[in-house]
Amino acid sequence: MNSVPFPIADALALQTRRAFLGRTVGLAALASLLGRDAASGGEPHFKATAKRIIYLFQSGAPSQLDLFDHKPKLKDLFGKDLPDSVRRGQRLTGMTATQESFPVAPSKYKFRQRGKCGAWVSDLLPRTAAVADELCFIKSVHTEAINHDPAITFAQTGAQLAGRPSLGAWVAYGLGSDAKDLPAFVVMLSQGSGNPADQPLYDRLWGSGFLPSRYQGVKFRSQGDPVLFLGNPEGVSTASQRRLLDDLAELNGIKQAGVGDPEIATRTAQYEMAFRMQASVPDLVDLSKEPASAFELYGEDARKPGTFAANCLLARRLAERDVRFIQLYHRGWDQHTNLPKQIEGQCRDIDRASAALITDLKQRGLLKDTLIVWGGEFGRTVYCQGRLTADDYGRDHHPRCFTVWMAGGGVKPGLNYGETDDFSYNVVKDPVDVHDLNATILHCLGIDHLKLTYKYQGRYFRLTDVHGEVVKGILA
Amino acid sequence: MRTRPLLPAIAVAALVFPGPSRAEPVRFNRDILPILADKCFACHGPDAAKRKAGLRFDREEGARKVLGKPDASELVRRITSADPDERMPPKDSGRELSKAQADTLRRWVAEGARWEKHWAFVPPTRPALPAVMDFAWVRSPIDRFILARLEQAGLKPSPETDRTTLIRRMSLDLTGLPPTPAEIEAFIRDAGSDAVDRLADRLLATPRYGERMAWRWLEAARYADTNGYQTDAGRDMWRWRDWVIEAYNRNLSFDQFTIEQLAGDLLPGATLDQRIATGFNRNHRGNAEGGIVPEEYAVEYVADRVETTSTVWLGLTLGCCRCHDHKFDPFSQREFYQLFAYFNNVPEKGRAVKFGNSPPYIKAPTRDQGQTLAALDRRVADAERRVRQLRGTLAEAQARWERSVRPADVPDWTPDRGLTTRIALDDDGPLTVRDGPAVYVPGRLGKALDLDGKRFVDVGNVGDFGFDDRFSLALWVNVRQLTGALLSRAVDDPQGEGYGVHFVNGKIQLHLTKRWLDDALRVETERKLEPGRWHHVAVTYDGSRLAAGVKVYIDGAEAKTTTLLDELNQSFQTKEPLRIGSGGGPDGRFNGLVDEVRVYGRVIEPAEASVLAVAATPGEIVAKPVAERTAAETDKLRALFVAKVAPEEIRAAHEALRAAREERANFSDSIPTVMVMEEMASPRDTHLLIRGQYDRPGAKVTAAGPTTLPDSPLGGSRLDLAKWLVSPDHPLTARVAVNRLWQLHFGTGLVATGEDFGTQGEYPSHPELLDWLATEFVRTGWDLKRMHKLIVTSATYRQSSRVPKVLPARDPDNRLLSRFPRYRLSAEMIRDQALFASRLVVEHTGGPSVKPYQPAGLWDELSGTGDYVPDTGDKLYRRSLYTYWKRTAPPPGLSAFDATARETCWVRETRTNTPLQALTLLNDVTYVEAARKLAEIVLRECAAADDRLAVAFRRVTARAPTDTERAVLRRALDRQLADYRNDPAAARKLLKVGDSAANPRLDAVEVAAYAAVCRLILNLDEAMTKE
Repeated sequence: MNSVPFPIADALALQTRRAFLGRTVGLAALASLLGRDAASGGEPHFKATAKRIIYLFQSGAPSQLDLFDHKPKLKDLFGKDLPDSVRRGQRLTGMTATQESFPVAPSKYKFRQRGKCGAWVSDLLPRTAAVADELCFIKSVHTEAINHDPAITFAQTGAQLAGRPSLGAWVAYGLGSDAKDLPAFVVMLSQGSGNPADQPLYDRLWGSGFLPSRYQGVKFRSQGDPVLFLGNPEGVSTASQRRLLDDLAELNGIKQAGVGDPEIATRTAQYEMAFRMQASVPDLVDLSKEPASAFELYGEDARKPGTFAANCLLARRLAERDVRFIQLYHRGWDQHTNLPKQIEGQCRDIDRASAALITDLKQRGLLKDTLIVWGGEFGRTVYCQGRLTADDYGRDHHPRCFTVWMAGGGVKPGLNYGETDDFSYNVVKDPVDVHDLNATILHCLGIDHLKLTYKYQGRYFRLTDVHGEVVKGILA
Repeated sequence: MRTRPLLPAIAVAALVFPGPSRAEPVRFNRDILPILADKCFACHGPDAAKRKAGLRFDREEGARKVLGKPDASELVRRITSADPDERMPPKDSGRELSKAQADTLRRWVAEGARWEKHWAFVPPTRPALPAVMDFAWVRSPIDRFILARLEQAGLKPSPETDRTTLIRRMSLDLTGLPPTPAEIEAFIRDAGSDAVDRLADRLLATPRYGERMAWRWLEAARYADTNGYQTDAGRDMWRWRDWVIEAYNRNLSFDQFTIEQLAGDLLPGATLDQRIATGFNRNHRGNAEGGIVPEEYAVEYVADRVETTSTVWLGLTLGCCRCHDHKFDPFSQREFYQLFAYFNNVPEKGRAVKFGNSPPYIKAPTRDQGQTLAALDRRVADAERRVRQLRGTLAEAQARWERSVRPADVPDWTPDRGLTTRIALDDDGPLTVRDGPAVYVPGRLGKALDLDGKRFVDVGNVGDFGFDDRFSLALWVNVRQLTGALLSRAVDDPQGEGYGVHFVNGKIQLHLTKRWLDDALRVETERKLEPGRWHHVAVTYDGSRLAAGVKVYIDGAEAKTTTLLDELNQSFQTKEPLRIGSGGGPDGRFNGLVDEVRVYGRVIEPAEASVLAVAATPGEIVAKPVAERTAAETDKLRALFVAKVAPEEIRAAHEALRAAREERANFSDSIPTVMVMEEMASPRDTHLLIRGQYDRPGAKVTAAGPTTLPDSPLGGSRLDLAKWLVSPDHPLTARVAVNRLWQLHFGTGLVATGEDFGTQGEYPSHPELLDWLATEFVRTGWDLKRMHKLIVTSATYRQSSRVPKVLPARDPDNRLLSRFPRYRLSAEMIRDQALFASRLVVEHTGGPSVKPYQPAGLWDELSGTGDYVPDTGDKLYRRSLYTYWKRTAPPPGLSAFDATARETCWVRETRTNTPLQALTLLNDVTYVEAARKLAEIVLRECAAADDRLAVAFRRVTARAPTDTERAVLRRALDRQLADYRNDPAAARKLLKVGDSAANPRLDAVEVAAYAAVCRLILNLDEAMTKE
């Protein structure tokens, strides 16, 4: 094995390489290479099963107990205290740690076995259930953190505290971009209708941490410019902007002839890329040319910019254009109280579109090399937070088990992996921690998570810190 | 030239320092230690837990075991062995040796394997200035070191750059702003031999210098305007930020700068400024998320202080020792916690305050505010004196009045200032009683309402208070049952959100609840009320969110309370009505009599609480002989007399005192606070934390410094630690500091890994120069301005940045500085330069952070709880240093140019080059408006088109355009003029971009066309580059 960590993009090394490229392969080649972000891109460590990721992050932590992790025995335990033998003194959040009792709250939703694989999915997600045979359910994911900020930061950056690069940034750094005029890493946000003022998101979740900032996710927005500062200023036409760039290239060229710094050509190339994005991004986000069948599939919500459904449809369009890492965040899953009312809204937001994305990608032949990941930052407690009635209950944060599903490039379809106990409290079989999950995602992209490193503060950092094992059991 | 793959930093470094040439002996620190550290220490290094075969090569005695003799060295045998089981490093370690590295190790052994301590842990000694050939080039000792190294590599320095480039370079480096055309002209014309020296002096003397230097320090100090986790609500640390700017501007020596920030509070007779300085180590993030385990974050804050302090002053990555012994550097986990102990005595909670500053914090008046406050204090003192002087007159006047007045003529009086609602419960008006009829009985004052444990009063929308509000609640009660809700505005539940006065087992409780049990405040009196008799109860809350801000009065006297819960973190404001007799759920209603309910929108004074508990009217009190009156009755009568009867002179004096006190209190409320370091009276125990986990304490440790470093602090106080850091022969502090100064000017430090001076860090490009600078810094009293001047006046700094046609093979990255490094300006400079060139900038030093333009929705789309509201007017155009910094959604225009998020300490300069930067400069309103205003300047100030273009060009790049460039600009202008003439509506649209009004006297088409060219100029590579 080569001792040189793969791939290396230290700012210093970049400059060296640029200086070198600028002098030998000529400016045109340089520009085209940069357009494809060759400064960072590299060949995978081994054959990839997925070229790209679509991560449907469900922020706030969906209740595994009400969606996927069917626990029929709980019906008889309604309102009874969670046995200490199950809890085993494991820590609780400050919100329920002082609760006088921990009454069991069975899910009020009906579960059925779906498809040929027989996976249990509740009636809250009928359309997801209908594509169950495409999904690989991991019931045994667990995490270290018990609060949202550290947990979502952990899920997305491999560390609970701020400062590390996000999963998408690592991938952009490791593999670069195949998209000609789009960023390698795109992020889209949507607010849940279950609880619109729910847990916030943070720029760090798609940030580049200590990696160069070129690897951070570019947010595609539903209001204003689809990418920040994308639109020409008022009173400036596209022709005028084009001429400005031509003049700019000319003046920068004169400067470069004078001072000889190849970085100037790089700058000009980035302006060209920006100009191309000014055309490609509006074209990408323009759903008006999508046929009616697309909205039948994704639902009418997909016509409303900024909904999860619209973002799923955009995700498909981004996948078609070879964007490497497509990250969606859907907020609103933090159901401490009024869980039924809120979760029904959340499920309406995401069910149809999530399933549509799978169906759509499959029809287009893209599912086989696109890995879709659906999940949140932790699970929810079997015991009730607040008042428990037959129809109403709440659930606190639960880090010890939750369900994530994957589909597409490289994972086994129709698989149930991992098991939890009768209370969906502890993992009893095939535990998968967040590092394992991230190692597996990288693996599908052909990246050995042990080798994707970056030296900072004297240490070769990696996404999975000093942990992580690829979950071989789910790989196709 | 052959192509080569991307290389890691260490390999790049090897290109600069390509190992010992054959002529030169191997040097341990430069050539060997980096190899051992990178390839061997992971298994044979300082970390005892990971050590294999009991061998450690980080210490000489350990390494000697395998070094052997040159011809029989186990080390050489193992690194060259063909047997995969023997070969080191093992294949699966991923740390293969290159052939060159193996050769170097072999040569080192052959040359006798000389051992040295890691260079950075040995105090620097002042090196002799090296010999050079080209003496004429040398301007300062710095140049001797640079030139010697160049000459050794067979390179020549570049010629001195032109004056224009030099003044722009120096202005940007020392003030963060470009020079004005007049300044450029003056500098070009200045024929004095000391012109550059004088320029440096002038630039260092402007207050802009402090603003420029502060930016970097704020990044190192992870300064921001928000708390950082989850809700990421605001905090106020700008008084600390202003302290930093001032400290730079008054050239506070770096040792004092260090001591005051780390331990200013512990200096004898610490001044307000010195306490503000300690905000440095309160700038870390604070977690206020509901449900966190506070102990977990209490540990994080202290760990952050250790890591930040060690990165900033020691250039060490001590964070690595939090969970285990350091893998590469000689620091143990125990030593991490010994340092931890220095920062572990802050009286703070693990859960931070959600909105605003977390204790400990202090009021930190600005100088102006301090003066106003002093004036207000004088006014209060004067008013008090006047009242005292009139005491005798008052007593006489009251005595005269009491003798003459008939009790029936004495008006009633109760404290009514700030009274928002009074409910007399006298059956004299409509009253909404629920769950039963209104039943009145004779009461304490007139009638009283009889509540039976079921019925209660719905007062409606009264007393709408939240956790920042001051308020008081008062009422008379006569209880039958010992538990029940007296008065509340809350969800009707024992744990409901809102506020309420409750009666629990005979005691009075105040509940302020957001979420029971982790976001609430509850205090309880020790004293119990007696059933069957009237008691007066008053409760006050001062808006502090703390139990200490609550007072309960029973029968006019302040009652001792115990705090049941003190975890209020969010407002308890609700839309519920105010209820009398309810608020604890249907089973918790009040059973007894209630009379005279009062709600005040302020904190009533103890004397007022005492008067409220007097049922007797002033008339009844007058009728009593003086000796039989209670003190409270006397007070009540006095209060009535002063308020309503006394001669004008007395009333005016009392009113003046009240007004003066109120004004002082109001002004005091407007004074910003700042979080500071404080020590608890009895220090917290510090334990080593096993695997760094907060809930796995190991052995107890006490404060001490790392033993590897000489003269570790002997004492256990933070002040000892701070003084040790700046002791003259400290091996790291001065080196780390001067390295950052170097980085500030040359883009890369002499040690490129400014955050890591350990064995994994890069070996210095010029070790002797680093040591010379470090010793010079200490020798001259840690004088920062002097060091800057030394650097910017050197011949090294004055070189041209022109890149040679053929890059020197031995130094493709210019680490040897055969030219000035040409690189992009930092984020804040790019924006500030545009504001400055267009004269939009509003310069004054300090003040609360401001909110310049930001695209709508950026905050709201993350949280759904409200958006960024940009400021207007001057605040749009302050220097970027003052931009409001929300950590979870930092200003996008600055982030695009690599401004750090300020979530953690950051000391390295980073520069990338992305299309998002292009979009920002092309389209962000900030830059379009700047282009528009720059156009107006040249249209107003010049007549000819070419002159106008030249001036615009010059205001941004400092130089005049060449003829070729001028032709391009002119062509661009002519096309734009033609376009906008054809479409004047577009011109008018462009002129509306940004808040500043367009100059109505100028032709819109012309302004728009010139603005288009100014956009072009602002987007030039040269515009955003330091040449």
